[in-house]
Amino acid sequence: MAKTKRLCLLLARLMALGATLSAAIVMATSHEKASFYAVSFEAKYDNTPAFKYFVIANAVASVYGLLVLFLPSKSLLWRLVIVLDVVFTMLVTSSISAALAIAEVGKKGNSSAGWLPICAQVQKYCDQVKGALIAGFIGAIIYLLLLLYSIHNVWDPLFKQNT
Amino acid sequence: MATQGGGKSEVGVNSSPALKPKDWVLLSLRLVAFFATATATIVMALNKQTNTVVVATVGNTPVKVAVTAKFQQTPAFVFFVVANAMASFHNWMMIVVEFYGHKIDYKGLRLAIIAILDMMTVALASAGDGAATFMADLGKNGNSHARWNKICDKFHAYCDRGSGALIASFIGLLILLIINVMSISKLLKPKHTAYIGVP
Repeated sequence: MAKTKRLCLLLARLMALGATLSAAIVMATSHEKASFYAVSFEAKYDNTPAFKYFVIANAVASVYGLLVLFLPSKSLLWRLVIVLDVVFTMLVTSSISAALAIAEVGKKGNSSAGWLPICAQVQKYCDQVKGALIAGFIGAIIYLLLLLYSIHNVWDPLFKQNT
Repeated sequence: MATQGGGKSEVGVNSSPALKPKDWVLLSLRLVAFFATATATIVMALNKQTNTVVVATVGNTPVKVAVTAKFQQTPAFVFFVVANAMASFHNWMMIVVEFYGHKIDYKGLRLAIIAILDMMTVALASAGDGAATFMADLGKNGNSHARWNKICDKFHAYCDRGSGALIASFIGLLILLIINVMSISKLLKPKHTAYIGVP
């Protein structure tokens, strides 16, 4: 029973690592050049602070995910891992939310502020950003589930222990 | 059987009316977080500014148009208001439960429920803050690559109130994070096993 639990946990952490890593990489490699009525338009993730924050947050979360995978199972550091899980869940959730907000402005514009949508001119860039956002969203959900599972794991054995 | 007895005595000790000194720290932190998130919600929800702009001149009379900036025009700010409202509701409920919830039978799950709810509120509030921060930055600096003009030079009061709401919300989020870490560390304390071992 404990072995399947450990296996499930390992699998979940691997999936979280994969999701955040792919989100960071796909967003960082999104790049498109378009020219629109003799105006050259270059769309890169660098142009928007929200996307830069998204790449940095997911990269840091991937490094953390990689380090946690190598932690031995009986170490006392697992208590710190639960606290760090909260911090990194917060980071990943805020990054996906910020990137979603800016991407929504890019796709639909904001008529009250006079901001025109840009997705029509740089379709490939928009699609790649969309893929990165989906991967980031999956990463955020897996981190949330991992946190719930960690809390359950910590609380359960304390009550089932016999001395 | 031993664990059942241990669980019951743990809930029995929890329902004593006197609050321990550590509970006062947690309670005052929750109060401050409640005020911070409630302030952020209210200030952003009442954020509205109207400017009259001269659009054209017909003959001798200038044609004026009233342009309004309100928080509903930006979905990120709407999410910000909703997230902070839910966070302040959560804080208020936790304060009420701390004072009046001693008679409810939690079946030993009290600390776990509090930790899980705290964690979900932290995630929600951080999402709201992240989205609103970057939208505010877009409104303040614009984005030259996408040809999006900044709007803060025309709507000073709107921007100022928005940044005030953001700062209050960040303070609330930080305190919520501290509270969450404290709730989780309460779960991790070896105090629980001491009750299980007592016959």
